[in-house]
Amino acid sequence: MKKLLAAALGILTAIGGFVDIGDLVTNAVVGSRFGMSLAWVVVLGVVGIVLFASMSGRVAAVSGRATFEIVRERLGPRAAGANLLASFAINLLTLTAEVGGIALALHLASSVEPRLWIPVAALAVWLVLWRVKFQVLENVAGLMGLLLVGFAIALFQLGPDWGELLRQAVPPSPPGTEHPASYWYYAVALFGAAMTPYEVFFFSSGAVEERWTAKDLGTNRVNVLLGFPLGGLLSLSIAACAAVVLLPAGIEVSSLSQIVLPVAQAGGVLLLAVVILGIVAATFGAALETALSSGYTLAQYLGWSWGKFRRPARAARFHLTMIVALLLAVGILMTSVDPVAVTEMSVVFSAVALPLTYVPILVVANDPEYMGEHVNGRVVNALGTVYLVIVVVAAVAAIPLMIATGAGS
Amino acid sequence: MTLLASTGCVASRQEPGQATAAVADALAEAGSAGETARIAVGLLDEGRVTGPVADTVLLDQLRVLDDAESALTTLVPPDAATAARRTTGLDAVGDVSDAVVAARSWVAVRSGGDLAPGAAEDTGVPASADDLLADLATALDAADAALAEAGGP
Repeated sequence: MKKLLAAALGILTAIGGFVDIGDLVTNAVVGSRFGMSLAWVVVLGVVGIVLFASMSGRVAAVSGRATFEIVRERLGPRAAGANLLASFAINLLTLTAEVGGIALALHLASSVEPRLWIPVAALAVWLVLWRVKFQVLENVAGLMGLLLVGFAIALFQLGPDWGELLRQAVPPSPPGTEHPASYWYYAVALFGAAMTPYEVFFFSSGAVEERWTAKDLGTNRVNVLLGFPLGGLLSLSIAACAAVVLLPAGIEVSSLSQIVLPVAQAGGVLLLAVVILGIVAATFGAALETALSSGYTLAQYLGWSWGKFRRPARAARFHLTMIVALLLAVGILMTSVDPVAVTEMSVVFSAVALPLTYVPILVVANDPEYMGEHVNGRVVNALGTVYLVIVVVAAVAAIPLMIATGAGS
Repeated sequence: MTLLASTGCVASRQEPGQATAAVADALAEAGSAGETARIAVGLLDEGRVTGPVADTVLLDQLRVLDDAESALTTLVPPDAATAARRTTGLDAVGDVSDAVVAARSWVAVRSGGDLAPGAAEDTGVPASADDLLADLATALDAADAALAEAGGP
C-alpha cells in the first residue's frame, strides 16, 4: 500500500511538474494563432521527454551517479565543458523566465507591478532551496502544479466543437492566415518547451537525491510513462482553450493575463483562482528545478560536493551557484525585459541546445561499464536514434527560423 | 565616421507593399488588444473575473497598443496611398486606445478603486458596461475597416 501511494505521488508530481512557463506561454500562443494544428508537436515532445527522462533516470538508478557526472567521465572535460556551457546558459535563461513567470502570475492576482514581485519571488525560491527537504519541495510543487488541471476543466465547460478541434489537429497543416515559416518556428519552440534540458538534469539528479537503486527502475518507468503524457494533456488543454476562445476573436496571445481569460469565461472567479494558483505553483516549482539544475550541472562537472541531501555547509559551492544564478535572473528581469519574451527565447534556445544534452545520455545509457545488464534495448536505441535526428534538425533550424520570421511575429 | 556623418540617409526606403504590411500588422495587434479588452470587460460585468485580473489584462493591452502606435508613427510612408493608410491606421489605433483607457477607469470604478469623488463623471468614464462595450465595438469596427483597407484578413 505504501509503495502504491509512493508511485501515485510520483505520477501526480510528474504531471504537475511537466508544465512550466515555457509550456504555458508557447501552448497558448500556438493555440491562439494556429488552433490545434501543432498538437502533433506536443505528442512528439512528450514521447521524446519520456524516452530520455526514463533513460537518464535509469542511468542514475543503476550507477548511483547523476548523468552529468558520467558525461564528463565518459566524454572527457572538453566535450562535457561545451555541454556544460550550453546547458548552464539555457538553464539560466529558463530560470529567468520562471522567476518572471511567478512575478507575472502574482501581478495577475494582485495587479501590483511585477517588478516588485521579482525579488520577492527569487527570495522565496532561495528560502525553499535552503530550508526545505528535497522530497517535500518536489512533491508540494508538483501537486500544487496539478491545479493547472483547471485548463482541462475549463475546456470541457466551454463545450467546444470537438470535431472542429480534431479537424484542426489532423491532418496537421498551417492555417491559411499564417506563413509556413512561422508555423515551423513555433513547432520548434513547442518541441523545445516540451524537451527543455533542465527536466532531464533535474530528473537524473533527483534520482540520486532520493537514493534510487536498480530496484526503483519500475517506479522510474511508471512515473515517466504516466506522469509526462498526462502533463502533455494539460499542455494540449491550454492550447485548446486558446483555440476555442481567443482564435475566433482574432486575439494573439502576448501576455500571461490573456491565457487565463478562457478559464474565467468557462468557470468564473473560482476556477480562475485555482488556475492562477496553479500557475504560481508550476512556475515556482520550475524555478526550484532550474535553480537546482544550475547547481547540479556545475557541481557535477567540477566534482564539487552537491545535493539537497547534504546540509548547505557541506555543499557550499553547490548552494552558492544557485544563489548566483538566482541573482543573475533577478538582475536580468529588473532591466524591465518582458518575461514573456524571455520565455519565448528560452524555449527556442533550448531547442538549439538539445543535441548537447541528449547525445551524451544516449551514449552513456549504452555503455555496459556503467549500465551492466541495464543498457538500452534495441527498441529504445532505435527510438533514441530517430529522436536524435529530430533533435538535430530542430537545433539547426531554430535560429534561421527565428531570424526569418522575426521570432514568429 | 566623418563620411557616414555627412552622407548618411535620413530613413531607409521601404517598398509600398512592405509599408502596407507594417500598417496591417499594427492594426492586427490593435484589433487583438481591443478584442481582449472587450472579453475582459464582459467577464468583469458578469462577475467572472476579479478587478485586479481585469485591470492587469487591460494594462497589458495598453502596452500592445503603445507598440502598435509606435510602429505606425515611426513608419516612413513611401507614397501617398500608404501615408493615407497610416493616417487612418493611427486614428483607428488611437480610438481603440481611448476605449481601453476608458475601460481601465471603468474597472477601477467598478472595483471600488480610490478615485476622487466625481472623477468618474469628469473623466468621461462610461456609465455602464454596455456603453463601454459599444464604444469598444465602434473602435474595433474602425480598426477592422482600416485593416481591410491595408489588405489584412
